[in-house]
Amino acid sequence: MAGKHSTNTRMFFTMLFGAVFRRWGRALMAVTASLVGAATLCCLAAVCLEIPQQMNEEMRAYGANLVVAPIEEAGQAKAGIAPGMVAHTTDMVTAKGPAKHASYRYDTVRINSASYLMAGIHPDQVRQLNRHWNVEGAWPSPGKVMVGRDLADTMGLKVGGSVQAKYLEADGNGESRVGGQWQKDKVLGQASYRVAGIVETGGSEDDIVYATLADLEALTQSKRGTDVIEYSSSAMGDQLTAIATSINEMRSMHVKAQTVTKISTADTRIITMLQTLFWLISLVVLALTLVGVGTTMASIVSQRRSEIGLRKALGASSGSIAVEFYVESAAYGLIGGLLGTALGYAFAYLLCRSVFGRTLAFNWWLALGSVLLSLVIAVAGSLQPVSRASRIDPALVLNGE
Amino acid sequence: MMIKRKRQDEAKSQHMDKGQQGLDGDDESQQLQQVGQDPQNQESGQSDQSLRSDQAQLSQSKQTTQAKQSMLLDLDHVSKIYGDLHALDDLSLTVPAGQWLAVVGSSGSGKTTLMNIIGCMDTPSKGSVRLEGHPLEDLSSAQLADVRKDVVGLVFQKFYLIPHLTAVENVMVSQYYHSVVDERQALDALDRVGLADRAHHLPGQLSGGEQQRVCVARALINDPKLILADEPTGNLDEANEKIVLDIFRQLHEQGTTLIVVTHDALVASCAQREIMLNHGELSGELWNDEDAHQAYLAAGGRPAFSHDAAPGTQPSDLLTQDLPVGFANPTKAAKVGGQTTKGE
Repeated sequence: MAGKHSTNTRMFFTMLFGAVFRRWGRALMAVTASLVGAATLCCLAAVCLEIPQQMNEEMRAYGANLVVAPIEEAGQAKAGIAPGMVAHTTDMVTAKGPAKHASYRYDTVRINSASYLMAGIHPDQVRQLNRHWNVEGAWPSPGKVMVGRDLADTMGLKVGGSVQAKYLEADGNGESRVGGQWQKDKVLGQASYRVAGIVETGGSEDDIVYATLADLEALTQSKRGTDVIEYSSSAMGDQLTAIATSINEMRSMHVKAQTVTKISTADTRIITMLQTLFWLISLVVLALTLVGVGTTMASIVSQRRSEIGLRKALGASSGSIAVEFYVESAAYGLIGGLLGTALGYAFAYLLCRSVFGRTLAFNWWLALGSVLLSLVIAVAGSLQPVSRASRIDPALVLNGE
Repeated sequence: MMIKRKRQDEAKSQHMDKGQQGLDGDDESQQLQQVGQDPQNQESGQSDQSLRSDQAQLSQSKQTTQAKQSMLLDLDHVSKIYGDLHALDDLSLTVPAGQWLAVVGSSGSGKTTLMNIIGCMDTPSKGSVRLEGHPLEDLSSAQLADVRKDVVGLVFQKFYLIPHLTAVENVMVSQYYHSVVDERQALDALDRVGLADRAHHLPGQLSGGEQQRVCVARALINDPKLILADEPTGNLDEANEKIVLDIFRQLHEQGTTLIVVTHDALVASCAQREIMLNHGELSGELWNDEDAHQAYLAAGGRPAFSHDAAPGTQPSDLLTQDLPVGFANPTKAAKVGGQTTKGE
């Protein structure tokens, strides 16, 4: 019995091989229909899976989506967030997903007797976080500052110019207000900086002088914690809110976290829109593929009516005819799916490289899904034609009616 | 395994037939005994003539039953009716195992309908059909397909080879649906029709005659009791027609029953027996082999007939008159190997 089974199974595949590979005209049509569907779906899926990630990174370039600041208590000198706490907070944020961060220390300094805010930063951190900042010249470096556009215009500063800054004791005690009248004039530190660059963001950054943290510490003659930590996290929506909540619940940390609503909401909305668009296009492509494969199979069945009639005359049952055609359809779907998936990935790869400048990684799960879907669509598309084929009356067909 | 099963089936079938014979025989024997006992029990005035008449009728009935059982094919008042059209009209025909029968007639005469019914691809509207003693009229299409693949080998005018399979694969397709695929046997079948060297060619690479020989090999591969050929030489030139007829003659000599539907009088004349159909009715019967005819009659075979005409009363010369080509065609001997003399 095993011998019978194996020889008849071999004959089944011989017939299948003959139908698929010795009838390239029709087989090519069916394979092409599956191929086009698989390629379109695979390309769409690969790009649309990549886009949210890309969007996220692009949105991160527009700054932070989470800000952490110390909880200040009235009557106490501001101490900022200690380096250890910065590390701890960062650990909490990165536990939910990759994140970039930048810490800022703000102090009020006098330039030409007027009070201005100077930020002590690690330039590399801030530059990574705020890639959308339009910087004329260079970022701060030791002895060189970056001045906000409004402030530069007010003071008539140019790149390459110099600026004299003083730090008064009163400013450190908080007894003076920015832009207000200073009460005490004890100068704790002063320094002259060269203007390395002028930054323009369209926001409050245009009124700030940016120096390296070391320069600010030298000017103020003091070291203390960070006033603000900005995070650009890959987490979005509820996940981002959950991070902020978990930080705020840890009261012992003496920090408060807040999401930057504008960016995270826009981010989520755009991605949702893209995903909806993807599903709509996918449905259309699925329907078109189904119609394409169905029409091709109907054509194949129609062309092979006499062959089906002959098989039935030789004793084939309707079931065995149906199985033969379903397996043949599945073979077309498999071949079309494999080729289409490869082609779809190639298109997606080129698209991502040319539009986003990114290398698209090969997604095995997506490829497997695409091939299986092609196979299922090919079989589904052949349901109706094969059902008709299995009902062919051999007498009518063989008599040429 | 399948061969063994097939043999078991055949043995079972024979056993059933014998059982049937025994049962019928017993019935008749009882009837005969009753008839024989009558003189003892009946009035003395009953005549011997009446007794002999009853015995003759019973004897005839027994012969008819035995004859039916020895027939491979038995059509009893078969009609196929489509609306008002009688494609086949009350035809009765018996064909014993080993006979070569030709069915002739013009287009629309009912030849194809008859072939479909005999080939288990259609069922009659009226009447009964028995193939190997088994009635076909009540079988489902699946059961008909089983009978067809076990008993009948089909040869078509248009060959109907599967174009994407080689010659040997085409033959193996028939094995595939029948039982077990055996390439060796398939190659032997092709060798039998002289195509061993063309076994691995696709049909498109074969001539018409070669394709028809593949078709014949496919019909032979499962050792069918009956080869049913529809215009087997209709698409062939004279040389290939002769080759195919030679193969048929070999098959006939080996005991295979052949029923050939044909327009060609020359092809028909190769058969032992010809019947002609006209508008679904039998219009004539002709025997080309008188020995076969006598053997047929001796075995209890009856001439074919339509309607209520008594068997054998329909004129056999109609066949000769209606044929488009006379039997005395000089090319006939060349085609059929010199064995064409009527009554031979």
